[in-house]
Amino acid sequence: MPKIENFPYGKAPFWLGVLALGSLLGVVWVQYGGAREKPDLVLALSAPNHVAAYRAVEERFEREHGIKVALQLVNARALTTRLQNAMLAGTEVPDLAELPADAMRYFGRGPLKDIGFVDLTERLSAEGYRDRLVEARLSLWSTRGHVFALPHDVHPVMLTYRADLVEALGIDVDTLRTWDDFAAAGQRVTADLDGDGAIDRYMIDFPSGGSQGLSIIMLQRNIGLFDEHANVTFNQPLMVETLIWYLHQNYGDKRIAYDCGWGQSLAKAMGDGLALFYLAPDWRTGLMQTEAPKVAGKMKVMPLPAWEIGGRRTSVWGGSGLAVTKRGRDPELAWKLAQELYFTRGELGRRFAETNIIPALKEAWDLPEFREPNAFFSGQRLGTEFANLAAEVPPLWMNPYTIIAENRMNEVFLRAVEHYKQNGDTGLREFVQAELDDAEAYVHRYIGRNVLAKL
Amino acid sequence: MSQPSESITLAASPGSVAKKNQGPPRRLYKGWAPYAFFAPFLLLTAVFTIYPLFNAVILAFHQTNGPASRAFVGLDNFRYVLTDPVFYKALGNTSIYALCSVFIQLPLALGLALLLNTDKSRAKGFFRLVLFSPNLVGQIFVGILFGVLFTPRYGLINQAVQALFGWGLNEQWLGTPSLVMPAIVITGLWMWVGFNMVYFLAALQSVDRSLEEAARIDGANRFQVFWHVTLPSIRHVVVFVVVTSIIGSYQLFELPLALLPVTDGHGPDNSGLTVILYLYDQGFNAGDLGLGSAVGWIVAAIIFTLSLLQIRLARLAD
Repeated sequence: MPKIENFPYGKAPFWLGVLALGSLLGVVWVQYGGAREKPDLVLALSAPNHVAAYRAVEERFEREHGIKVALQLVNARALTTRLQNAMLAGTEVPDLAELPADAMRYFGRGPLKDIGFVDLTERLSAEGYRDRLVEARLSLWSTRGHVFALPHDVHPVMLTYRADLVEALGIDVDTLRTWDDFAAAGQRVTADLDGDGAIDRYMIDFPSGGSQGLSIIMLQRNIGLFDEHANVTFNQPLMVETLIWYLHQNYGDKRIAYDCGWGQSLAKAMGDGLALFYLAPDWRTGLMQTEAPKVAGKMKVMPLPAWEIGGRRTSVWGGSGLAVTKRGRDPELAWKLAQELYFTRGELGRRFAETNIIPALKEAWDLPEFREPNAFFSGQRLGTEFANLAAEVPPLWMNPYTIIAENRMNEVFLRAVEHYKQNGDTGLREFVQAELDDAEAYVHRYIGRNVLAKL
Repeated sequence: MSQPSESITLAASPGSVAKKNQGPPRRLYKGWAPYAFFAPFLLLTAVFTIYPLFNAVILAFHQTNGPASRAFVGLDNFRYVLTDPVFYKALGNTSIYALCSVFIQLPLALGLALLLNTDKSRAKGFFRLVLFSPNLVGQIFVGILFGVLFTPRYGLINQAVQALFGWGLNEQWLGTPSLVMPAIVITGLWMWVGFNMVYFLAALQSVDRSLEEAARIDGANRFQVFWHVTLPSIRHVVVFVVVTSIIGSYQLFELPLALLPVTDGHGPDNSGLTVILYLYDQGFNAGDLGLGSAVGWIVAAIIFTLSLLQIRLARLAD
């Protein structure tokens, strides 16, 4: 029996060697060993509520096709960056990926051949899906005229409001037809209620740094950052007017908005009645139901005020889409699962009841679940309210330069705020226009150096 | 004195081991065993350090779409970064943070170490643990925690500032460009003061008390003792902590990312953007590893220059 002491250089190297060997065997076992059943199809997704919603379809699909499907929940940032790198580096990828709204900014940067998803453009037309979907929602998943994912949702934006407080204040929401009407009513009710010099009640919750709030308002007026050909579209007179309008709601004497934040902070603000109205795409109404149970039965929804009588009463915020990877084991089988998940009408009704999310498949909107009264929103038929606006949502073109443009737009807004704080409205219009010119030049410079997109 | 050292030499000599474990296999081990032990380290260093460094030099002259496509662009990446106002904004923010680290964080850490460096302090261990503990939880946790503390109207910091100064309840610390960097610095203070304090405390405990005692007998007051005896005695640790703080400041990444999640760590008007976040944006969010590599080399050059300068200044002071 050899003694440990006889191992070259003594005990320590022996045990280090044992540890190294043990670790190596462990890694090999975890990677290749065990009795784990490898799935035949893997769907990676980042929305926890989608996992529960897809279970029934997953189980049925497994039975019908005699295969094993795995749903992998991954953080949204990890899903996009790691998947992009895995696809480009040629390592293992899932068969399907449900992507967050900004995904094409990662995946659409290089030449079309580098995009690791199956091009669905012809398939959507040939199989008749194009007419059955909300066309505007394909914008999120398109680059250079090619569609790479199925839209999961529509995400029309409405306003939710504390109906009990709004009605007590004598505001008739039917009279809030335009944003001018809304701002005028807001100036009446925004007030310091306890006389301590701080305002305790605001008309609406708007992000004070611009960001998503300004984006929603812009899109309602058809001002996107880009068009479908990645041409800059934000530098226009209507943008100047919209930005200054948004600024006036958030700053200065006629301010009506407060930034209530997210999560607990938002729930507390809703409970306290700090703001009366809140921007709410369909998905956010679901969040409100779970995060702010105190205001159940006190809330209602209404369409966004229009910019002019008869104008669009909604906008859009966010989205998810399902893509089939090129290097998956069986892209045809993956496509079948994608159809089952997104186009099974009965499933879409049940899913709406669980999440409040309006699917992009138009024929699902007349399902009974969409007409069910929602107790949290004072018995309103939430599905019908959102579905009535769903066909009007504006397109939201996404490309690799979107993040740069968004950042620049936020800079423009915040610099305008600083200008306004120092000079009021004097020279504000000219200042904003000059900032937009700079922002456009910056974005053009960034686009201009992307030689790979031209390949 | 010579006997013990001789016995140590004998015990450690290879000859003595060879005599004890005789036979052909031992002679073979003697030949290749050191290389076998070094091999994993050399292999890992070659794969994960030397090759990436070499590749990063090549990448810096290319535009890439992840690892799939690349196009040679010469010095264009460096030209782009060095003319990008956003890079200078990030560099400015990071430099402010580094300055605050050196001129606020380290004096505070040294002050706390001096307070705890007394024989009378019974609670020394307790306070050392309390002040060091923020470091145990990681920057992401601290970022999320302070994101809640800085919440307008409801956040603990807003309420405390309001109670103390009658101002600030509704301040958007993380939404107002001029307040974002103070918020990051405050969060950094909470996290790092205790960590640096441990270094200073260890150094202070090794200071020769007889020198301090002699200075006091010669009539030096407390400040004079600290300035002329204590501080020079721990100057090597001070230099080390200053250099590592500057390097750490220029590598700031997770904290603003977790503190400012809505804007991906940028903050309003890029007021929280650091150079490493800028690198991450270019390399991973935009997928241009070439541009990311160029930023990396520029940042490395800045850190190297600052560290060199710091060490030279310290040597001059010696």
